Amino acid sequence: MATTENDRDVTNGAALAAFLAAGIGAFAMGLVVILNEVGLFAVPALYAPAGGVSGRTTLAAVIWLVGWAVLHHRWKRRRVEPRRVHAVTLALILLGVLLTFPPVWGLL
Amino acid sequence: MDTKLFTERSIWTMLHGIVLGGGALLGLSAALFAVGTMHGPDSVDATAQRQGRNVGWLTAFVAVALWLTVLVGTYVSFPPYRATPPEGLTDLARYPRSLLQSNPGTVWLHSFAMEIKEHVPWIAAMLATAVAFVGVRYHSRLLNDASLRRMAMMLLTICFVLVSFVSLLGVFINKVAPLE
Repeated sequence: MATTENDRDVTNGAALAAFLAAGIGAFAMGLVVILNEVGLFAVPALYAPAGGVSGRTTLAAVIWLVGWAVLHHRWKRRRVEPRRVHAVTLALILLGVLLTFPPVWGLL
Repeated sequence: MDTKLFTERSIWTMLHGIVLGGGALLGLSAALFAVGTMHGPDSVDATAQRQGRNVGWLTAFVAVALWLTVLVGTYVSFPPYRATPPEGLTDLARYPRSLLQSNPGTVWLHSFAMEIKEHVPWIAAMLATAVAFVGVRYHSRLLNDASLRRMAMMLLTICFVLVSFVSLLGVFINKVAPLE
C-alpha cells in the first residue's frame, strides 16, 4: 500500500526513522573511530591516498544508511511515540561525537 | 615572472572551506532561523505550504553542501595534507601534516584538530540529511508539528555547533600549514 498525503498527515514514523538513523550513524562513527584507536578493529583504507579515514567513514555511512533503510521500512506507516526516540537519538549523537574526540581516546 | 596567485591545491582548499563549508554554515543559519520562527497554528493555506516547501529545499541545500564539503575534504584536500615527504627533505611547506608534527607547538593541530576534522563533519552531514529528508517529505508539517520541529531544531543546532567548530579548526590548520 502506498503512503498517501493523508497518511503523512498522521504518521511520523518516517521522520523519526530518519532522526534515529542519524543518531545510529553518529554513534557508528564514534564506535569505528574508538575501536581503531584502541587497536581492536582497523577498517582498511578504501582510497589509499586518504588512508584509513576513507574506510572508517565509509563503514559508518553504510551502517547509517542500512539502519535508516530498516527503520524506514518498519516505521514509515506508523505513528511512533517521539519522546523516547528523541532521547535515544540525542544520546547516540552525544556518544558518537564524544568518541571521535582525541582527548577521550587517552582515557581508554 | 610567472607567478600563480593560487595553486590548484589552494583552490580546492578554498572550495572546500569557504564555498562549500561557508555555504553550508550560511544555509544552517538560515534553516535554524526559518525552523525556529516560521511555525504557527496548524495551517494548510498556500502561504504555509510554500513556507514548508522553501524550508524543505533550504535544508536540502544544507545537506548537499555539507556532503560536498565532506567528500572534497576527505578525498581531495586530505591526501595532499597527509602525504609523506621524501627522506631528508628539510622544507616541509608542501607537506602540511609533517610540517605540523615537526614543531612541538603545532603538533596539536594534527593530533587534535585534524583528527576531529576527519570524522566529525561526517556526523554533521548525517544529521543535516535527516532534517532535509523530513523537510522535503513533510513540508509544512516540519514547521507545524511541535515534536518534529523541536527535534529538527536540536539536530540543526548540533550540526551548526559541530560545523562551526571544525571550520575554526580548519582555519587554524590552514593558517600554520596551508595547502600551497
